[in-house]
Amino acid sequence: MKLRNNSSRNGHLSEEIDHLRKYSLNRNRKFTIEQLNKPVSFWIKKERLLNEIGKEFTIILRTKGCYWALEHAGCSMCGYIEDANIDNVNSQQVINQFNYALDKKLEEINSDKCSYVLKIFNSGSFFDDNEISEDIRCHIYKRISIIPNIKEVTIETRVEFINKNVLKEMQKYLENKYVELGIGLESVDDYIRNNYINKNLLFDDFIRVTKLSHEMGIGIKAYLLFKPPFLNEQGAIDDCVHSIKTLLNFNIDTISINPCNIQKGSLVEYLWNQKRYRPPWFYSLFESFKEALKQEDFERVRILCDPSGSGSKRGIHNCSSKECNGNMKEILQNFILNQDLRELDSLDSECICKKKYDIQKYQN
Amino acid sequence: MITTISILKKFIDFVNINLTAEIINCIIMIHFFELIKNGIGLSRIGKIKIHKSSKKSIYTPNIIIPFKQFFSNNAEFIDSFGCHDIFIISEEKYLKEEILNKRFGESFFLYTHYGTLQKFQEILEEKKEIFHNSNIIPIIPFNIPTISINKKFSENEIKNHLKNIEIILKDNPNINFGLSIKIYKDFDLFNLYISLIENNINIKILNFIDLFKNLTYYRRIIDLIKDIKENLDNNLVLMASGTIISNYLPILVYFGFDLVDSSYSLLISSNNLYESIETLLPISKIKFLPCSCLSCEGKLSKLLGEKHSTEKIDLLCYHNLLTIKNYMNKTVQYLHTEDFRNFVEKSSLNNPNFISLLRIFDKAYYNFTKNYSQLNQKNKIINCLGPSSYYRPDFNYFRNKINENFEPESWTKLIVLFPCSAKKPYSLSKSHKKFLKILRKIPEFPAIQEIILTSPLGLIPRQLEDIYPAHSYDIPVTGDWDNEEIKISSKMLIRVLNKFNKDIPIICHLNGRYLDIVNQTEKEIEHKFFYTDMKEHPTSNDSLDHLNILIQKHISSYLPDASITKENYLSNTWLRKFKKIIDFQFGSGLGTLLINNEIKYRKNKLHTKIEIFNSNTKSIIGNFEISSGKIQLAIKGAEKIAFEKDFLKYIVFDGSNISGNTLFRPGIIDFSSDLYTNDNVCIFDKEKKNVIGMGNMIVSSEFIKNTTSGRVVKLYEIKK
Ligand code: SF4
Ligand SMILES: [Zn+2]
Ligand SMILES: [Zn+2]
Repeated sequence: MKLRNNSSRNGHLSEEIDHLRKYSLNRNRKFTIEQLNKPVSFWIKKERLLNEIGKEFTIILRTKGCYWALEHAGCSMCGYIEDANIDNVNSQQVINQFNYALDKKLEEINSDKCSYVLKIFNSGSFFDDNEISEDIRCHIYKRISIIPNIKEVTIETRVEFINKNVLKEMQKYLENKYVELGIGLESVDDYIRNNYINKNLLFDDFIRVTKLSHEMGIGIKAYLLFKPPFLNEQGAIDDCVHSIKTLLNFNIDTISINPCNIQKGSLVEYLWNQKRYRPPWFYSLFESFKEALKQEDFERVRILCDPSGSGSKRGIHNCSSKECNGNMKEILQNFILNQDLRELDSLDSECICKKKYDIQKYQN
Repeated sequence: MITTISILKKFIDFVNINLTAEIINCIIMIHFFELIKNGIGLSRIGKIKIHKSSKKSIYTPNIIIPFKQFFSNNAEFIDSFGCHDIFIISEEKYLKEEILNKRFGESFFLYTHYGTLQKFQEILEEKKEIFHNSNIIPIIPFNIPTISINKKFSENEIKNHLKNIEIILKDNPNINFGLSIKIYKDFDLFNLYISLIENNINIKILNFIDLFKNLTYYRRIIDLIKDIKENLDNNLVLMASGTIISNYLPILVYFGFDLVDSSYSLLISSNNLYESIETLLPISKIKFLPCSCLSCEGKLSKLLGEKHSTEKIDLLCYHNLLTIKNYMNKTVQYLHTEDFRNFVEKSSLNNPNFISLLRIFDKAYYNFTKNYSQLNQKNKIINCLGPSSYYRPDFNYFRNKINENFEPESWTKLIVLFPCSAKKPYSLSKSHKKFLKILRKIPEFPAIQEIILTSPLGLIPRQLEDIYPAHSYDIPVTGDWDNEEIKISSKMLIRVLNKFNKDIPIICHLNGRYLDIVNQTEKEIEHKFFYTDMKEHPTSNDSLDHLNILIQKHISSYLPDASITKENYLSNTWLRKFKKIIDFQFGSGLGTLLINNEIKYRKNKLHTKIEIFNSNTKSIIGNFEISSGKIQLAIKGAEKIAFEKDFLKYIVFDGSNISGNTLFRPGIIDFSSDLYTNDNVCIFDKEKKNVIGMGNMIVSSEFIKNTTSGRVVKLYEIKK
């Protein structure tokens, strides 16, 4: 895997992240054998499927970790490397992790009337052989191919690992399921993506793999990072609106908005500790949706948003009021489940923080 | 405008008229910014015309009010701010003809977007019509990145940003822009902006974001401002935005900012803070509302005890915006009619950083400041507050001029040092009247050089007691001088006394701390000092008697050069004064060429002027203007000194005749580098053979150097 030489990239950010990362990894704990045979976590919950409301079955596998973070400092908001076991995890252990989760939930899934989306996340790239070998992937494909209730499968990967072969192999087993590749595009703006997020990815390359996948009948789920570091609230709205609108033009199947949250060991955490970064407000997120989307767009695209840490000070939040954040979370959830913009205007009474937000939006 | 002039020049060449410069000089220059008058420090009064076709201008300094929701739904806001000169819009929805040209058609607008540059560009494109046809200037934003992680990062970001805005500027040559400038913590990064600003004449406003956020960067802040003034067109409008509250205004204006964005007032309101001018008070603490605006008198007073609400924030916004707006009015009022420097010092007392900023600026940057500062004020009482006033630029200028230009009269036989008096000019005070009564009885009175010791100016030779600021400063005469004051005076005294023959005796009619000045001086120079026996105070009969005795005793101990004749000896007090004033204004030695015993003078009826003329030829040399303490030379007078090689107060005009009462920048082909605001200046014709006009400088040589347009000299006499 060769690094693209992206001349516009601001190397200083990468140095800074690297520095922080070293500090954080030094004190990284080792995992026990028992831990290595179980996934980081797994759960079932309500989720918007392509055409209906269903459930998600999510499994988070512990692997060696994202090479981009390991070898090149990684992305500025990402702390996934904290979950990784740097000293490799062998194939059998990963298979054990998967089996453990699936066996626990299989009955529930099989007996459910709902449709499911299976999400397999490994805090890195599913197609990176160093994290998840071909053997593991085939094992996973085989097991899910025979579960009828799982209608959709989503994995995550960096663009550089997507090629015809891995897609073909996946297709072979999962022909009768809708497969979606989750790609951390973060923003359609190359400058923001590479200079503020340190993603090392060009939009053109993303589009190239999108075309390839679409040709093979595989869907694309683009992750957008809402309010990357170095952007203010209005900047975040502008970037998000611009990104959604652009992605609509490229027929991206699913756009998943990730409001930036404070992850351990990340540059964002460092800035947040210094009070130089604040996670986004719900108001900004809603404004972005309203500005970027028209109701008819939902015929072509699925919008997802399931913010981690939402309502807490490390995640997307408004003021410190539980009630205010609770209302926001509910509105967001309804909007996503029903894919209906009207949900965003369903708040009865405005919290006083809206006024503050309207003024403070223009601050960093 | 440059193009207009060159087209005009071509046309004139074509029809072969030889009046090029005169015609150009008569055209009233329509520019974005026009400087009307320099104030003290870097402060200035100017005029902005945003749109070519608009008849109205706004005057600077001015405060920019954020145009928000409340202008569409709040009657009180509209009443209080509706007629304001200049607003800033940050929401696209207000970019409407209906608002800009109709409802608020009398006002000017700035527009900026607080998000990405790309979005700003989209809006600009979409609303091009509006930006072309309305009184609105887009301010190119620089919001992202919000912060920097290190200098290299900042540098990269600024470079990238500038690359993008260069495109915007080039794509819209017919729109005037404001440019937001961000330097994070690295002030030298401003250099990255310079060539962009120089190369794009459609940048008219420089908007500095948070330049004053960290006030402890005194030198870096000042260096940056110096950089701007010295390297960029002085007609660029300077705007300050970001973290700014009321008490910043005087200092911002003093440092040359023309526009100040008050948007931060909204932010403090949202944090429940109340502007009291001196500081910000948490609204929860307030029991006694120190204001009677509609908000404070009305609802806000009732809501004080209640918990925070949207309404309360609105009421605070109203009060806070009104307060900063009013404080700007006050600042501008002082700038126009009062001793503005004093106002700046007083208001700076609220913030020790401001005082430090002023002191460093005074002490280390005088040579820069004097190019922009008003150095002479009319009809003003100059109040000295204390240490913060010692090195005001006009005081520094006065001291330097005396040190450099004052030369002894060749017939001096004795020097007498006196204390100062509260009343100015000194000779009208009770104490000095008594001193002079003694002195005038002595036949050799004109051979006595009187020197008055004073703080904080240092010293004032009697001949110069009528000039600025000697004739108008005010300081409590407590005799309680600090060491700094003693140092200022003794340094100057050493310098001036050393100009006199060391055999001339010096009589000190002084007491108290004044004696400390002399003690420090005596050690450094060779002259002999004699002290009157002070009984009680300098004006007591005993003291005066002893003064008389001492003078009698020493008046003949030194005999000046025998070559002194009736012709070069002046005995008349006013003639002695005029001669030294001319030296002070134009350079030492030049007074001798103008003032001799043929010169007579007369006061006008109102006692505002003294006309100086030659009694033989009846030609007028000039007028001494009492309020400014300046001699305004007449052309006839100027002709006598203007061709001397040491004469440095001139401008060469591109033509042979001048008309109108203002000389504009484009008509100037050469100028002395020694011109300062308010200097009396002589206008030469193209060949430098004739004096064709006289006037007073509106600006300085430095300003002429750094601009291509604008008013330069206010003419009061032109050759017919
Ligand atoms: S965000 Fe994704 S690509 Fe970036 S470092 Fe984290 S896991 Fe790797
Ligand atoms: Zn709230
Ligand atoms: Zn008030």
